[in-house]
Amino acid sequence: MWFGSDSAGRCGLALLALVLVSLAPAPPVLAHAAFLELRPVEGIAVQGRYDDGTVMAGAQMAVFAPNDPARPWLTGVTDDEGWFRFVPDPAIEGRWTVQARQAGHGAMAYVEVGGEGEAMAAVMLMAGGDEAFSPLQRGVMTASVVWGLIGTALFFQRRRAA
Amino acid sequence: MHIPDGILGPAVTLAGYAGTAAVMAVCLGQIAKRDDPRRDVPKAAMLTAAFFVASLVHVPIPPTSVHLMLNGLLGVVLGWFAFPAIVVGLFFQAVMFGHGGLTTLGVNALVLGLPSLLAFALFSARHRLLPAAPWSDAAVGFVAGAGAVAAAVVLVAVVVLAGLPAHVDPDLERRAIQVFALAHVPLMVIEGVVVAMVLAFLRKASPELLLGR
Repeated sequence: MWFGSDSAGRCGLALLALVLVSLAPAPPVLAHAAFLELRPVEGIAVQGRYDDGTVMAGAQMAVFAPNDPARPWLTGVTDDEGWFRFVPDPAIEGRWTVQARQAGHGAMAYVEVGGEGEAMAAVMLMAGGDEAFSPLQRGVMTASVVWGLIGTALFFQRRRAA
Repeated sequence: MHIPDGILGPAVTLAGYAGTAAVMAVCLGQIAKRDDPRRDVPKAAMLTAAFFVASLVHVPIPPTSVHLMLNGLLGVVLGWFAFPAIVVGLFFQAVMFGHGGLTTLGVNALVLGLPSLLAFALFSARHRLLPAAPWSDAAVGFVAGAGAVAAAVVLVAVVVLAGLPAHVDPDLERRAIQVFALAHVPLMVIEGVVVAMVLAFLRKASPELLLGR
């Protein structure tokens, strides 16, 4: 007898239930293996440096998307070499702002995303400011200001002498 | 010691400009009270040049480097002229080399200028603090020079931490400021020695240039 005893009956019911459950459509979250799809994308690497050449290691970075300049789109910290890497969302076109700050020092750089032709173009790196000038230019600029101040001194000295 | 544009919010930068305008008014008022307000203009212009160039001189202090400030020297040698001299010097540093910024000019002027006026106050009171001796000018000069740097570091820390935006990690920034402050300890000694040496030199070479003889 198949269902002669109570225990055999319970076992059979359980088996039937198991078959029914296995036939029911499984929820998708329980599905199978996971896959990773890798593809190279165009990203931005930015390095923070002080004007004496020291790298800004451990500086706090904030990336601002053009559609919300008030709230950072991404935050992070530069590595030991002062580098910070990110991939802007290509759907948000316009001028992205990257800001580095460390102990009250800081710099800003801009990245143009989208538009015609070039997908991305780093516009300006403004770390410390004066790296844009050659030593000769810096020398002339310094000398001009100093001479202006010495001239002021001489002018007032002469007036006093007169 | 130059807070650049973009670090501080508009409220702090505006307050900096208001504070600088107030201090400038007090300084110019004190200068105008003198018999000949223009007498010290040549001296102020020369020291403004020195202050302007000083920020380009980097003193390597591993793992970083700091630049000379000379705010204590300006206070001790120029008195009330120190603050206007610092404002002019900071303006040229910001415009020419991007050291500091135009929006933060007011804040930076207070950060460097207030300690400068403190150094002036300390030096003016030296005869009451120490017995008149050849070394007393140099001793007070050392304290004024070192103290002006220390006060500026404290002011930078206060301003930066008070105006921290929400997305900045305060702990990380605090640690960075501690490193920044430690790097300035040798600079305090250097600037203290510079002021002491300048005062010792002026006392011998041209004592008429010393304030409040």
